[in-house]
Amino acid sequence: MEHQGQVLFGWSASIVASVIFVLVYGLIISEKLNRAILALLGAGLLIIVGVLNQEAAVRGVDFNTIGLLLGMMVIVNITAKSGVFQYVAIWSAKKVNAQPMGVLTMLSVVTAVFSAFLDNVTTVLLVVPVTLLITEELKVKAYPFLIAEILSSNIGGTATLIGDPPNIMIGSAVGLAFNDFVVNLAPVVIVVEIATVLVFYFVWRKDLTTTEEAMHRVMNFNEIEAIKDWRLLKQALTVLAIVIGSFVTARITHLEPATIGLMGAAVLLLLDNFTRDAEEQSKNVHSAFAEAEWVTLIFFVGLFILVHGLEASGVIKWMAGQLLTATGGDFNMTAIAILWSSAILSAFIDNIPFVATMIPMIKAMGPTFGGDQALMPLWWALSLGACLGGNGTLIGASANLVVAGLSERAGQPIRFMAYMKSCFLLMLMSVAICHVYMLLRYLH
Amino acid sequence: MTVDSIMNRNPKTVPMTETFGGAFAILMDLRIDSLPVVDTNGIYRGMFDLEDIWELLLPRAAMLGLKSLTDLAFVSDAKEAMHQKLQDAGARPVSEFLDAQVQPVHADTPVKEAILLFYKHQGDLPVVDRASKRLLGTVSPWEILQALR
Repeated sequence: MEHQGQVLFGWSASIVASVIFVLVYGLIISEKLNRAILALLGAGLLIIVGVLNQEAAVRGVDFNTIGLLLGMMVIVNITAKSGVFQYVAIWSAKKVNAQPMGVLTMLSVVTAVFSAFLDNVTTVLLVVPVTLLITEELKVKAYPFLIAEILSSNIGGTATLIGDPPNIMIGSAVGLAFNDFVVNLAPVVIVVEIATVLVFYFVWRKDLTTTEEAMHRVMNFNEIEAIKDWRLLKQALTVLAIVIGSFVTARITHLEPATIGLMGAAVLLLLDNFTRDAEEQSKNVHSAFAEAEWVTLIFFVGLFILVHGLEASGVIKWMAGQLLTATGGDFNMTAIAILWSSAILSAFIDNIPFVATMIPMIKAMGPTFGGDQALMPLWWALSLGACLGGNGTLIGASANLVVAGLSERAGQPIRFMAYMKSCFLLMLMSVAICHVYMLLRYLH
Repeated sequence: MTVDSIMNRNPKTVPMTETFGGAFAILMDLRIDSLPVVDTNGIYRGMFDLEDIWELLLPRAAMLGLKSLTDLAFVSDAKEAMHQKLQDAGARPVSEFLDAQVQPVHADTPVKEAILLFYKHQGDLPVVDRASKRLLGTVSPWEILQALR
């Protein structure tokens, strides 16, 4: 244990750390205050009351996660300026002759694929405006398209190390590579995406009809015009390809994800700026960094410290013991319990603090189940549950809220209960598919 | 110098019951950018301006102010579809289209404040009485420039 043994007034470190954690968690759920403020306040409190000193708190921050997130945010924000993502979205809609059901399918798949490589919020911010544009031209409801994109963004993000923050956290904490996620999660993610699109097909195919004239208008969209900067496009796609290639070969090169992400961002910034004068460079670099989601990054820092407080004071070990007792120390039962509880909880609470808490808990189970290697299925269960669970409600993931906000402003509001009625069941279906997958592949 | 000394005290106005088509025809005939809308008591209710017409013609997604959709260079340009939108809106009351963003000024508002509002891309400014909210007149950029010439 790492705590200082000098907690204010001689209070128990584990109780103080737990109280602060529960308080912060409760306030995050209440959504009365910004989560970054709460996490930072909680982290500061842990240090002030003496559960951790500053050095221990900094040690608790996973800079691999922070660096990877920051690097990818910068790369994606610069790449997005080229217009390539709109190009792909329009191109995909035209590939199905602008038939509404085909467009829904294509945009869902495009969202899922983008989400596997970009963060989910960025993905929906890129795809939703084009979707609204196309549905308005087709004179069809945007609702099923937007819902399908919410679900696909969370499903696609589950497939890779960089697709969703829980995966970045798990990968970093356990030392899992990009390929580990692709090999273990992508197969079931593809099945879940196909199943989800099929459900949409059967539910919405009769309602999504339009006229030849409307389809003709969409077919007249000129996707080439969506490309704003060809030079930037080439540079960004080259860097993105090298970054993804580096993730794939990370086992051989021994490069950590944060190094790859930040190095990619640095190279792209260099390429995008070396021909500009000093003043323009300053403006451009400032804008590239300013567009990173600092609230999320700061939230991560605070959260890592809060969870480290629980870990250092022995609370996590105790919680892991309780979970093991509840599952009778049975590995299969533990894996399935993690899968389902992660999914249900992630539908209602932020999956990032949840996963941050679960990681040390699962690590603590290593000795019981025969070492770190034996724990692998538990990590996949956590990832699948936490990422897919976000689809259950409108507040389950940041991307859901972003789409709801955009659709409201576009005059096509998505209501909390209406969303939950249809999507909670779809989320349960996706977790059931993962349950079967886990049984077939990992649990005997 | 205040707005009182330069405002147009007899601007063209339309009642709340005016149709979109009627108000649109006035803008076109007089080649003006905006029309104050007043109720039966002469109380200012909002501005009907060119921005309201552009909003009708543009896709909603383009007006969300997103960095991921800053232009419409790739969309198809169907004149008939836009013409139809104007036709369809023709019979709707102008009150459905009022621009709530137009900030009214008062007779004692300094002209510099009016210039700042024009600088922020606001069109003609309605001048209203502080207490009763009755429309007293309007100020256009041309009236200010004429006064300063």
